[in-house]
Amino acid sequence: MSGMRQIAGRLAQLVFVLWAVATILFLMFRLMPGNPLAAYIDPTFTEEQQRILMARFGLDRPLWEQYLIYLANLLRGDLGDSFFYRQPVFDRIMELLPNTLVLTFSSLIIAYGFGIVVGAWLAWARGGLAERIVIPVVLTTRAMPEFWLGMVLLAIFSFWLGWFPAGGTRPPGAEYDSLLALYASRDFLSHLALPVLTLAIYSQGLPLLLMRSNMLEVMREDFVTMARIKGLPRWRVVVLHAARNALLPVATSFAIAVGYQIQGNVVVETVFSWPGLGRELVNAVSASDYPLAQGAFLMIAAVVVVMNLIADLLYGILDPRVSHA
Amino acid sequence: MTRMFRMAAAAMLLAGAASSALAAGDRIRELKLITRPQAAQPSEFQFAQIIAQEWRKLGLDVKVEVMPWEQMADVVWYNRDKWDMTAWQMVGRPERSDPDELLYNLYHSSTSAKGYNFVGYSNPDYDRVAEAQRREVDQEKRRALVFRAQEILAADQPVMMLVHPRSTFAFDKTVWDPASVVNQGGIGIKNFWTFVSIRPLGGQRDIVLNSSDNVQGINPLWISGGTDSWITELVWDRLLRIGPDGLPRPWAAENWEWTSPTSITVTLRPGQVWHDGKPLTAEDVRFSFEAAMGGEAPMYAPFVRNIAAIDVDGDRITFTLKEPSAAFLTSTLAKINLIPKHVWEPVLADLATREENAESHQEKMPIGSGPFRFVSWTTNEEVVLEANRGHWSAPAADRWILRIVPNAEAALGMLRSGQINFLADFPGDPKVLVDAAAADGDLEVVSTTDIGFRYVAFNNRRAPFGDPAFRRALSSAVSRELIVKAAFKGFAEPSNSIVSPALPFWHDPAVDNMPTGLDLARQILSEAGYELVGGKLHYPDGVRETLAE
Repeated sequence: MSGMRQIAGRLAQLVFVLWAVATILFLMFRLMPGNPLAAYIDPTFTEEQQRILMARFGLDRPLWEQYLIYLANLLRGDLGDSFFYRQPVFDRIMELLPNTLVLTFSSLIIAYGFGIVVGAWLAWARGGLAERIVIPVVLTTRAMPEFWLGMVLLAIFSFWLGWFPAGGTRPPGAEYDSLLALYASRDFLSHLALPVLTLAIYSQGLPLLLMRSNMLEVMREDFVTMARIKGLPRWRVVVLHAARNALLPVATSFAIAVGYQIQGNVVVETVFSWPGLGRELVNAVSASDYPLAQGAFLMIAAVVVVMNLIADLLYGILDPRVSHA
Repeated sequence: MTRMFRMAAAAMLLAGAASSALAAGDRIRELKLITRPQAAQPSEFQFAQIIAQEWRKLGLDVKVEVMPWEQMADVVWYNRDKWDMTAWQMVGRPERSDPDELLYNLYHSSTSAKGYNFVGYSNPDYDRVAEAQRREVDQEKRRALVFRAQEILAADQPVMMLVHPRSTFAFDKTVWDPASVVNQGGIGIKNFWTFVSIRPLGGQRDIVLNSSDNVQGINPLWISGGTDSWITELVWDRLLRIGPDGLPRPWAAENWEWTSPTSITVTLRPGQVWHDGKPLTAEDVRFSFEAAMGGEAPMYAPFVRNIAAIDVDGDRITFTLKEPSAAFLTSTLAKINLIPKHVWEPVLADLATREENAESHQEKMPIGSGPFRFVSWTTNEEVVLEANRGHWSAPAADRWILRIVPNAEAALGMLRSGQINFLADFPGDPKVLVDAAAADGDLEVVSTTDIGFRYVAFNNRRAPFGDPAFRRALSSAVSRELIVKAAFKGFAEPSNSIVSPALPFWHDPAVDNMPTGLDLARQILSEAGYELVGGKLHYPDGVRETLAE
């Protein structure tokens, strides 16, 4: 019963956060310098045409009225029409979101899988030669800018060796029956490889170092000592007892990382011509396309908020002590 | 007698010296020059710095103000009396091959308040010439008027013309026969004619090209992004097309004939069909022009504003104009996309009842009658067209595949590794491209002087820029060769006319090679009465600085 109430409370918070984000977005884009019609300045564009365009997008109305219309539309799931593309924002976002989610989750799963295993292993191998070599390597890769790393991988694996294509999600002119058929194809995987590798290398540092330090801490706890005293094999102690407990903060960081990663995708999507939400967001902001930029930001905010909710709930399952607190 | 004369002369000299020190006009305030950021527009940022530096040597205080495009456009366009000078750019388009659009819209005084004459240039002599060239249907007479307009502008210097950049594109010459690539004057090798005639040498028969911009829409009734126009030109035919020489030539219309200065008759080429198999008729043509006139396609409205009536007689279509227009061929007949009546009639009828116009109507399967037909469009990734084998001018290639590649270095890498075979957009440094091609051996790079141009606009409404002599002096102060070398790395041609030398018929060579130099600039200033006091430039005697704020 209290579990249900807790979830309901969390959902109410979620709605409040999204409303706050939506309001900030609305104000932010309208306070930005410049006129959204600047993108259309052209000798053939008359004043009458500009006026029609302003009216078409409601830009001739007072700010508070625009805000009310915006909120009312949001409640109906209508994100408005893009100034730039003249198409519903929602449809465009839904076309691009799957590409971004595939990129984000596959790179994070690889980064976290790798980070957790290697982090646990490094904790096990503390003080050895492996630590002296691996830790600096991890720190170095973590410090590399994504843009630079992406360009280096492109130069080596695409332009020089020719193993992977340089951009997009499919070979030129290839057709697929559905999005699923595309995602299941070998072509797609080969297009996905380099951007995922770039993002995975960029994001493995956090889970790896977090896992290692958690493990070191957990290994000093009484129940681990107890397990050792019982004479369990060392790998069993590390994997089943210590690692399971050390995983908890890493799980939380995964949920938060999804949000950061979608932001970080801006760079990788540009380097690898990946048709995702990050690139769309940057274009929308630079074209003063308020509805599209608001919609894309809101979508990213929704993903982050939902992931946080999932992390909270998951935490309760992984560590029953949390839900009683 | 002589003595008295000497004394008088000495007295006059003394008086003159005293008055010049006492009565010199106000000191000219700090002048601001707006430019976009270095990261977005490296050449522009560079030339703004160079120009400001030269002007400072004339005794002016010049401040370079950096603004992103949105903000710059807002200040310059919507606050017309609030700025001094700004860097600006006009891009080249096939329909700008006719000088009318630029000559009239940029500098006719009627467009000063809200239109494109944002610099506020106003000269009744110029207005008369700009109107006359628009009405003159005799090409030779019109040419003389267009020359006259360029000479007035050269004398008045409403803006400081800098360069016509060179557009640089490249293709893989092991895939495409270089002899089949067409270099269109003022546009470059990325043009309609190339895509229709480019011939494959081997098994790769698809043109795979890149664009760094997303496709906004594929819509014959909406003038959207630059990249979109590459697609509309291929999918939808027009009555005429601008040829590689910059002049209109017959296309869907076999010929045209002026029967009076306000009446032109075209004959439709027989046997044309839409991509869905239905025949293209003169009624479709009439419908296409009426759609542009009807209010649902506002961006096309200015191009058909001069049409009074359209009459169809068999396969002949007669346009009656409200007033004579020499540019009608280029800016109307070669501009309006032919659209099928059976597809668009119900759509436009529906749109007439709603707030949206035709610009929001994205067809799932666009239907035109052009040499390529639409196959697919994947958002922000690619557009695929295929050759229309039934077209009377069918392309030699099989497919035309546009890939969206926002990263310039990656686009070049893709060209070198064969992932694309036509580099249609390279926002990077052209020098890098030329060097890469030299190292590669398989690539051919072609640079073409553009119809478009870069300039520094003076706000003619605002002192001291209302004085043509002052503008002339500022413009003369800076060597264009220096700008070409330092800001454009040689990939540009010096300019003193808004009609590009890429349009040899219309470009007036008499205005080329404007003499420049600081001494010349100082001479013009002192002849116009401007004075240096303590190293700072002042207005002529008695002139106060007044600004409308």
